[in-house]
Amino acid sequence: MGIKLFKEPKLENPVMIAGWPGIGNIGLVAVDHLRTMVSAEEFGEIEPWEFFYPRKVFIRNGELLGLEFPINKFYFKQTGNRDLIFFIGEEQPAEGGSAYAEGAKAYRMANMVLDVATQFGCRRVYTSGAAVAPIHHTMKSRVWAVPNSEDLVSEVRSYQNTVLMSDIEGRGGQGHITGLNGLLLGVAKRRGLEAVCVMGEIPVYLHGFPFVYPKASKSVLEVLCSVLGLEPELQSIDEFAQQQEREIENLYQKLPEEIKGQLEKLKHVTYTRQAEPGIITEEDKKKILEDIDKMFKKQPPKEG
Amino acid sequence: MANKQTVKILKEPALQSSSLVVGWSEDAGKLGGEVIGYLKRKLGAEEFAEIELECFFPLGGVGVEDDVAQYPESKFYCCSDKNLVLLGSTPPRFDWYQFLTSVLDVAQNLCHVKEVYTIGGMISPGAHTTPRLIMPIVSSKEMKMSLNEFGVNVDMDYETPPGQRPTLSSYLLWAAKGRGIPGASLWVPVPFYLVSSEDPRAWKRVIEFLDNRLGLGIDYGDLNNEIAEQNKKIAQLTGQVPELGSYIQKLETNLALSSEEGEKLAKEVEDFLKKRE
Repeated sequence: MGIKLFKEPKLENPVMIAGWPGIGNIGLVAVDHLRTMVSAEEFGEIEPWEFFYPRKVFIRNGELLGLEFPINKFYFKQTGNRDLIFFIGEEQPAEGGSAYAEGAKAYRMANMVLDVATQFGCRRVYTSGAAVAPIHHTMKSRVWAVPNSEDLVSEVRSYQNTVLMSDIEGRGGQGHITGLNGLLLGVAKRRGLEAVCVMGEIPVYLHGFPFVYPKASKSVLEVLCSVLGLEPELQSIDEFAQQQEREIENLYQKLPEEIKGQLEKLKHVTYTRQAEPGIITEEDKKKILEDIDKMFKKQPPKEG
Repeated sequence: MANKQTVKILKEPALQSSSLVVGWSEDAGKLGGEVIGYLKRKLGAEEFAEIELECFFPLGGVGVEDDVAQYPESKFYCCSDKNLVLLGSTPPRFDWYQFLTSVLDVAQNLCHVKEVYTIGGMISPGAHTTPRLIMPIVSSKEMKMSLNEFGVNVDMDYETPPGQRPTLSSYLLWAAKGRGIPGASLWVPVPFYLVSSEDPRAWKRVIEFLDNRLGLGIDYGDLNNEIAEQNKKIAQLTGQVPELGSYIQKLETNLALSSEEGEKLAKEVEDFLKKRE
């Protein structure tokens, strides 16, 4: 039971990029798109039964043929320069009914993922997820980035279209990353590995819906490609994002005018520190965010 | 082998090539729990091991059902002269694979089990007066052939629909197969309006099958009294509310009920049987 490797590729200075399902499946879509884009090859998996309940049984003519479990696979791509390892999980190992990884199993899985990373000489890991933010769905999602060491802060600050926690008003550089995206950062730190979590913004009013939000995945993908020196191929994710935006827009247009009016104001809210004053006052902004919070009766924005 | 602390062994049973029968306490028509309880009583089976609850259940209080505090239980019983092992268990709440590993460790290493049977009720749109069938799922072709000889059809096609998960019984069958232990899940349709109550007709069908299959030599005639008693109670109810009788008649002639009719029948029968118990 544990890690099963089908082959042991020789990799040069590899970087690991990991993705799991989460809010809007932002990280998973971004990482899986990148994996497909570079045609990465499967080379191993984490045996799932210790972590997950099966999700499908196949019975034919009265005979149980097998069970299907959520898969957790490793892929590699030799680039000739900085090789890539991908880890993609179809579910987070959760305990007590939570959708996000926590507890001993999650810790064990995080370590197994990093066991493979270190076995192939990897010193840098990227995880990817969602940042719930007071933005409008017509806006481009930015990427919140959290490194696991102070030494990485200046590097992360240089990433395109990216903000750090300290750039977000009212946070004072604080936050919480739920699930394996966060846990992996911590476990990597403990094991002396560099790690950065990049999270695409999803509008606060969409994060509770079972939507995939590829617009944010695209922003994450752009950051990862830029960091890894890859030319992004965006056509399919663009099409996906446009299709989703049309569906969201259809739903949005059905909202009562009062709610829509409040949400429209998000187009003018800037919640990161800015040099120039926005077109609405601080007081307006506070009121808008409070109203939206009340409207959706949600907890404060979170990341994961 | 699972961590030793997941199982408490009270006594090592003297068994060879035994059969394991597993029933879950949370089951349609109380099928699994009642069948295990019945076999235990009739055969005088003796408790010999227990799965440690803290490994698989959140023990942060107790649930209350029908005014009574419930507590998870996962106990093994053996009946040496019949070469039979029984497991009556609450389905675990987490670490399912480790739980099944613990069950199969006891079965294989302590009881030398040669085959596994699980019992389960499945919700049926039929009437309580219709005969119960056993619809087995097997883990090997050999088991299928051997069950065919006992007058049951093994021919179900099924794939878990989206949004649902496989049953623990299927998971156990799969895990046992991985160890080379063949098995069968014995599924019995339970009328939808008896799912939360009791279905003695289904209990009888499973016991009858196990008695034949495993040569247990049980006199289960007393179950006919339970069936008759339940029929009587439902007849009393339909006497008071003739509309419900017409619903049951529709079911008996293979006609479907509307969702409102179905809900009303289920609620009224459940409330009436609870009141009378």
